Amino acid sequence: MHIEVFLGTGGVGKTSVAAASALRAALNGSRSLVLTIDPARRLRTALDMKADGADQRVPLDPACTGELWAAILDVKASLDRAVYRYASSQEAKNILAHPVYHLLITSLAGMQELLAIERIHQAMEDGFESVFIDTAPSRHALEFLDKPEFFAHLVSFPIVKLVGRTYQWWVRSGLGRLSRMSFELYSRVEEMLGATLVHQILDFFSIFRKMAEGYAERAEETLAILRDPKQSSFTIVTTPFKARRDGDYFWGELQKRKFPVGSMVVNRIWPEPAAGAPAGSSQQVQDLVAWYQDVARSHQLVRQEIQSIFGAKIPRLVALPELPGDMDGLHALYEMVKVMEPARDGK
Amino acid sequence: MNASSATNSRLTIFCGKGGVGKTSLSLAFALRHADQGEPVLLVTSHPLRELAVSVSLAGLKEQRPLAAANLFIVHIDPLDILANKVRQVVPELLANRVLASPIYGSLITIAPGIKEIAFLGRLHELAEKHSDDTNSREYKLIVWDAPATGHFLQTLKVSQNFEAYLSGPFALLGREVAEFFTEVSNLNLIPVTALEEMAVDETIELCEQLSRELQIIPSALICNMASPLLASSDAEFAKLREEVARAAADSPELKFILNHHAIERALLDKLRTSIGAQVQIVRRKASWNSDVELLTDIAGQLGGIAYT
Repeated sequence: MHIEVFLGTGGVGKTSVAAASALRAALNGSRSLVLTIDPARRLRTALDMKADGADQRVPLDPACTGELWAAILDVKASLDRAVYRYASSQEAKNILAHPVYHLLITSLAGMQELLAIERIHQAMEDGFESVFIDTAPSRHALEFLDKPEFFAHLVSFPIVKLVGRTYQWWVRSGLGRLSRMSFELYSRVEEMLGATLVHQILDFFSIFRKMAEGYAERAEETLAILRDPKQSSFTIVTTPFKARRDGDYFWGELQKRKFPVGSMVVNRIWPEPAAGAPAGSSQQVQDLVAWYQDVARSHQLVRQEIQSIFGAKIPRLVALPELPGDMDGLHALYEMVKVMEPARDGK
Repeated sequence: MNASSATNSRLTIFCGKGGVGKTSLSLAFALRHADQGEPVLLVTSHPLRELAVSVSLAGLKEQRPLAAANLFIVHIDPLDILANKVRQVVPELLANRVLASPIYGSLITIAPGIKEIAFLGRLHELAEKHSDDTNSREYKLIVWDAPATGHFLQTLKVSQNFEAYLSGPFALLGREVAEFFTEVSNLNLIPVTALEEMAVDETIELCEQLSRELQIIPSALICNMASPLLASSDAEFAKLREEVARAAADSPELKFILNHHAIERALLDKLRTSIGAQVQIVRRKASWNSDVELLTDIAGQLGGIAYT
């Protein structure tokens, strides 16, 4: 079992790199799954991913012994599945019908992060040998690693437990049996947020609590696996323009959280400048070539710079060329696997 | 409240997909105006520490003192805003206990839309210059470096349907915010895109959603990181293509450039036919020595973007 998590800011080709890595594992005989967050339409079509988040098998050459599966990380589908699995059938019904449940899914920005961890756990249960996870395209992506722990801690607070457990009784007895201080605190919070909302949330928590505790437990297990370098590795995906800053930032943040950084991929490097403008070209062509060479040369400089900064810190540094933009989905992934090979097989 | 002095309450918003350069462009736009001696406030949803990771203003004071003196950057943290609100409503000693209590913490985390309302509320205060903060200055221009598409839309939509769930002080805040953000003339919306398929598709979708659900029409559209050829006409490009095909059949780099550029050009056409707004092209600079140099270069290309 191997888990690889891909981190990077927007527009660096993170989803493609994750999908190509999954394809590569499948071609090497593994049963592999790529979980993506917001795949481009072409990739979505190529991998035949369903909007409901179901795992979808991607047809490969019949000679290939591995399997490639793809799924979109869908908040509602993953949460529904967790509710069905971990709550009794009556509880599940109550949870799924609760208005706050729907609010949570549709309007809580952090749900995707919370559910990513749950989804990894589900993938492990489904027996995948390698799982490749795309994350939200931003520096905030690390929240996906912070939130579950935050949530796990929150659920274990005695007061939250108490509120969850006793809420029904609490409402019936008109809050009268609370200590003065708790009562005061509670009514202040209610005053700020509005009674309807607070009642709904507490009511929801009182039925969701058990599930949440189960979630918190699984989240801790999953996080422990993600911290184990024998089972997991993190890949920073970046482009030449952002490589140094992204590298510094993500490497530092992952170190801080004790997650193993396995690779850094500098994607979309322009081909090395070659001959220059042909003799007799117009001024415009000469200018264009000069501009191109400037950009391409700066990409090559970044490559060397990255080698000297991160060579000793990150086990694998991978440089991927910019592929022609007119290639479509699966074909583009095969091309990317081809250019990944030499860099990775050295290891 | 001194709303009478609110001569210009328009808010300029740079929005778009992650990674297309919203932060650099909003900074460059802010710098362009600060450089003319106009006090400018840039509001960012990135914590300043993260902002510093993506762009550095080192050297600004030395190279562009006027801009440095007139550029103000603020990060709005919704949790701070909410905590202030609690302190205003609840007596001090009790307020601290409320803020420290896990009940408050968990409810604030989980209550839908509250953080967005708090954020928009503060943004609205700044834009209308009726902040309670007596030190607040008169900004000529307020720029919001918005979060990436999904979160941005979600934030704006909150101002429309908050009433279903909130009551009390936050609901009051919500009502004011809704009034401001549904008044289209208050907003100067500028989507930013790179000429790459995903970014262009997302930009078109964003503009459709904004107009369908929020009745907001962008005032301009920026195509960032374009190749220098994009400014040339189709006829010029065709001629160039011919010349290159003749002279350099075996030059892989020329082929790469033309291929790259043909894709950019097709995507630009697609944008132009899908979105009515004026398009501003910002060229990719080949190399630069400092971020201030890069931002100054970008600022010089934003002449076509107005804010009043």
